[in-house]
Amino acid sequence: MVETKKIAIVVSEGTFDKGMMAMMIANTAASMDTEVHIFHTFFGLNLMKKTAKPKLPGLFKLFTGTFIKKMKKIGVEDYAGQIKLAQELGVNLYACSTTMDLMNIKQGDMWDGVKILGAAGFLDIALDADSTMFIG
Amino acid sequence: MQKDETLDAKGLMCPMPIVKLSKRMKEIPVGTVLELISDDIGSKEDIPAWCKRTGNELMGTSDEGGAYYYYIKKLV
Repeated sequence: MVETKKIAIVVSEGTFDKGMMAMMIANTAASMDTEVHIFHTFFGLNLMKKTAKPKLPGLFKLFTGTFIKKMKKIGVEDYAGQIKLAQELGVNLYACSTTMDLMNIKQGDMWDGVKILGAAGFLDIALDADSTMFIG
Repeated sequence: MQKDETLDAKGLMCPMPIVKLSKRMKEIPVGTVLELISDDIGSKEDIPAWCKRTGNELMGTSDEGGAYYYYIKKLV
């Protein structure tokens, strides 16, 4: 039996590319039997809202729909689809408690299963992880 | 190569072949040989990495007509 690995990811931006990158890496890792933890802070927290429809940054925003269509053609779901897959695969999603307060986001506004954590709680997970990634 | 089941992942790009492979491998019994077909060029590195990390055996590969064939034996 192969030893179970653990990865901790921080997402601090809420654009489509950052959100998709984090979820695609997370869902791949979970499919490789890796334990995955993703901490969403600052603008990354917007991605945890049930209503999240992230757009590409800057002027590329206008091409978000084209990106989503092209991705669907090659079997890659949109952001909400990635979240659904992550929930099925047991990916752990966390919301930064301080950012929730700053942005006035409540637990009920977020996807099912999102857990609330502070920095120490996330560090406790990250310190035991085999790899940590920062996406922001 | 001898196979028990086939998973056709043509038309899907990374990470979907891996996601679908993982799901299928959880459904089949230990000892089964699964043939995975992909036309994602990234699969050439991805499938061996997946096998190594999950403890399953990549018994062989081939490449014909723009598609890659992987023969994976479920060990765990």
